Amino acid sequence: MEITRICVLGAGVMGHGIAQVCAQAGFEVNLRDIKAELVEAGISKIKAFLSGSVERKKLTQAEADAVLNRIKGTIDLREAAKDVDLVIEAVVEDIEIKKRVFKELDEICPEQTIFASNTSAQSITEMAMATSRPEKFIGMHWFNPPQLMQGIEVVVHERTSSDTLETIVALCHKLGKTPGICKDSTGFIVNRLLQIWYNEGLNMYDEGIAEPQDIDTAYRVGCGFRMGPFELRDMVGLDTGLAITETHYRAYMRDQFKPPRCLVMKVKAGELGRKTGRGFYNYEKST
Amino acid sequence: MKIETIAIIGRSALGDEIAQLLAQGSLKVLNSTLEQDYSAVAEASDLVLEFLSEDFDLKSKVMRDCDAKCRRETILATTTPNPWITRLASQTTRPDRFVGINFVKHAPQGKLLGQVVKGLQTSPETVEACVEFLQKSGITPVKLEESPGFIIDRVMAAIVNEAALMYSTSLATIEDIDKMVKVCANWPLGPFEFADSIGIDKILETLDTLACHLGPKYQPCFLLRRMIDAGWLGKKAGRGFYTYS
Repeated sequence: MEITRICVLGAGVMGHGIAQVCAQAGFEVNLRDIKAELVEAGISKIKAFLSGSVERKKLTQAEADAVLNRIKGTIDLREAAKDVDLVIEAVVEDIEIKKRVFKELDEICPEQTIFASNTSAQSITEMAMATSRPEKFIGMHWFNPPQLMQGIEVVVHERTSSDTLETIVALCHKLGKTPGICKDSTGFIVNRLLQIWYNEGLNMYDEGIAEPQDIDTAYRVGCGFRMGPFELRDMVGLDTGLAITETHYRAYMRDQFKPPRCLVMKVKAGELGRKTGRGFYNYEKST
Repeated sequence: MKIETIAIIGRSALGDEIAQLLAQGSLKVLNSTLEQDYSAVAEASDLVLEFLSEDFDLKSKVMRDCDAKCRRETILATTTPNPWITRLASQTTRPDRFVGINFVKHAPQGKLLGQVVKGLQTSPETVEACVEFLQKSGITPVKLEESPGFIIDRVMAAIVNEAALMYSTSLATIEDIDKMVKVCANWPLGPFEFADSIGIDKILETLDTLACHLGPKYQPCFLLRRMIDAGWLGKKAGRGFYTYS
């Protein structure tokens, strides 16, 4: 199936970036959020990104203008979705809200329209079964920031059709992205392996084996990771990290996913990483 | 305590590389194989570093021989990746001057890491002396307590095990798992590429050690055992998770 028009739901961190990537690849994009301010904020972020690209001579002004012209902002769900070939959903990570949105879309969209969710944590299967078109339902998990991150996890469930899968894989290539196919399961490929990567390091600290800076250094120098687990936890935010760890632990019920004590205690103490000035490391300026 | 002369006992590719690197600095490096009079070489040094095969009895014998000949202040160090530090140390008369220095070079940029592993009786002075000479030699040191798999082998084996489980339960292909962690998380290598280069036998050995000492969460994915049975040991065997020509 040929995709020409795309609707992106949610103009936040992920949504606006996804809309931009699609528009830059030549697709007509409807960008929809629930409030006009949110849509405008998303579009001005796209504008800022594009003018940066023009300054760095990656794009001409005419090209940047053409990209913006292909993006239509709206708060009207029907307007945004009624004649598109694909909907990419990037609304808040709440399964009930997502299911409600897909139920509405199911009424609005033509029967051939493919539904893709950008969820990182919710069940693709559960969302698919809230619609009358599970065979046209797929996961498309992008990474932050979508404009720069190369990989997309394409997530299939039991009833995703091979035609839907092929269409989305081909779309990823057209967008200049690298797709990796995974069956619906918590954490898909990357977040699940990252959980192990984080937890082993944090557990070593809990077990009194080494200090965070030594563990981080070992990961970086010994294996060539860009950052160690403590540095990355601090950067992403310990509360976010703990929530993701708990999701995995609940889903798999295996000890390797158990939230490490040091992470739980830091979150309880309100030391959430860089954003609070303190996490596993201290970022407060010494006075 | 200052380390100026280092005795390297036993030969291996990594040992030769380390010897060369140390000699480039201000350190004096003496080499000895097992066939030579290694304890005489050890006698003249401030630090003895063994690069012998992973045979506990062999390492124990060599360390005891060195212990008998070395000056009181000489540090004895084993490069073993196994949690044998305290056990080996106890065979000598100087458990406070006995330490593990495990070298790791997995990063594609070729950087060297030295895991300075403290046995139960290792003194802080011994650890600091090792940290200092590694730093001077351009090898990044990290300090840790003796524990199965140390830092690197433990985390990498756990990741390979989870990836093997994902693959053997048909959630994703080998290629897609490797590809995604590289492009989405900026990992330098995928878990299967890493496992093939280290050797599936080594990964399994680490997991067995981890499972034995730290519990069943490290129990190896059964696929890894079948690969060993089939002789698919990784790059060195021409076949592991990938096939090499």
